[in-house]
Amino acid sequence: MRQFLLGFLAVLSAPLLAQTTDSSFSPKPGNSRYMIRGYADANFIAGEGEISFGNARLVPLFIYKQSDRLLFEGELELEIEDGEVKMALEYANFYYQLTPRMTVRMGKILVPFGTFFDRLHPSWINKLPTVPLGYGHDGLLPTSDLGIEVRGGAYLAGMRTNYSVYLTNGPRINDGEEEADEIGMIVPEADIDNNKNKAFGGRFGLFPFADQSLELGFSAQSAKLGDKGSDFEDIGAFLYSFDWTLVKTLPALGGRIDLRGQLNFVNIDNRPYEVLEDGSLETFDFDNKSKTAFYQLAYRPTFGNQFVQNLELVGRYSTLTTPEEAPWESQSTQWTLGLNYWVDWRTAIKIALQSDEVEGGHDSPGLTKTDLFFIQWTIGF
Amino acid sequence: MKKNPIILTIAFMIFMAMMIIGGCATPAHISAKSGAQLWGEACGRCHNTASPSTFSDVDWDIAVKHMQFRAQITEDEANKIVEFLKSAN
Ligand code: HEC
Repeated sequence: MRQFLLGFLAVLSAPLLAQTTDSSFSPKPGNSRYMIRGYADANFIAGEGEISFGNARLVPLFIYKQSDRLLFEGELELEIEDGEVKMALEYANFYYQLTPRMTVRMGKILVPFGTFFDRLHPSWINKLPTVPLGYGHDGLLPTSDLGIEVRGGAYLAGMRTNYSVYLTNGPRINDGEEEADEIGMIVPEADIDNNKNKAFGGRFGLFPFADQSLELGFSAQSAKLGDKGSDFEDIGAFLYSFDWTLVKTLPALGGRIDLRGQLNFVNIDNRPYEVLEDGSLETFDFDNKSKTAFYQLAYRPTFGNQFVQNLELVGRYSTLTTPEEAPWESQSTQWTLGLNYWVDWRTAIKIALQSDEVEGGHDSPGLTKTDLFFIQWTIGF
Repeated sequence: MKKNPIILTIAFMIFMAMMIIGGCATPAHISAKSGAQLWGEACGRCHNTASPSTFSDVDWDIAVKHMQFRAQITEDEANKIVEFLKSAN
């Protein structure tokens, strides 16, 4: 693993070196270029009997612009988990510009279902050190997947809009074989394609005002979840989502407001699920519908001295409701409050308090409350 | 319940097709915008904006092309923005 990583770093740094030499020797740059970007963060977590320097991440992003039409982007995520370096391919895809307003991309893509994952997840963009409910552990929303997508910006009745339509391998369903209590849950990351059916979806975004300060989006995705030939083969899922973004400097409030949110619905076909638990066959019959949402507001002052202007206050409220009568039935709410200090446009020190309340759930039934304190230092480079 | 998603999906498809084929002309109030104005409006929607002096001309070429695709900006808008950034860095 170590050799591999060293090799990988050498490969990454080669174009960087090449680029510096290139530009010093050839004053007229051609139009095909490499760029290494990405981000890193260091985290500290305290609460619930734990005080620790949590995760540290290095997320290199590799961009190659072959021409004005063809571009490749790929991002790796290196992090430490349980004392080991874990590596993931966040995305790796080609873009080809078909027309000035339409681009096709293919590969492992960030799925444009809502805005959070596609646009906001890098830690120098996400205003809080954590992600909203519905992503991460037991997440149910699409994040990144193998597939093809057509996307672009367009105008409709004088209004600026954006659109994307995609086909991906799509989500799977938990068949309860490993963990009986999780039967019927959607598994968004289908690293292995389990059936011929592809997930089909898209997002449409609209800017009602000419200054693009407000964006309203609607996304939908439909897919079959089950493994080919299994009892679950015909189970389908329909997911849809509404998102909104308002970013505006308001002199009356002496600052810049950043209001965002996303409301998601995950509907899976109803049917009784049978699973072998402790030697006996159990049947669960429930209405397999979940929903999850987040609402976030940030405020950054435009008055005062530089120190004050570098501060930002953020609040986020997030909810997750899973089906009643499911063995994984739960209701979760989460509050996160944060204070950020922006050293520059993509370097920040973030402190945050997060309070979680979970009722039910397959890990520990009953009501659990968790309060955590986070410090995150993030840099985009 | 079963039919709902299908109808919605089809409606969504038709709408998308209209969007893509329609390709309405750029409205005058948008084509009148300068690169600086477009940069101010389009580049701060997801993250803080980098000042033009952050990058060289070559790096801006790549970053703005990257953002054209990632942030679904049209090529006309991207061209104006990159010209502005290169003139102001
Ligand atoms: C729709 C959201 C969105 C908008 C609008 C947007 N960006 Fe970005 N930008 C991103 C994301 C997401 C990344 C991080 C890419 C990653 O690490 O995966 C990024 C990264 C960057 C970077 C770092 C280098 C790179 O290419 O990754 C620069 C520079 C940048 N954006 C400039 C701009 C400019 C200039 C504009 C206006 C034309 C703009 N952005 C508009 C989402 C956006």
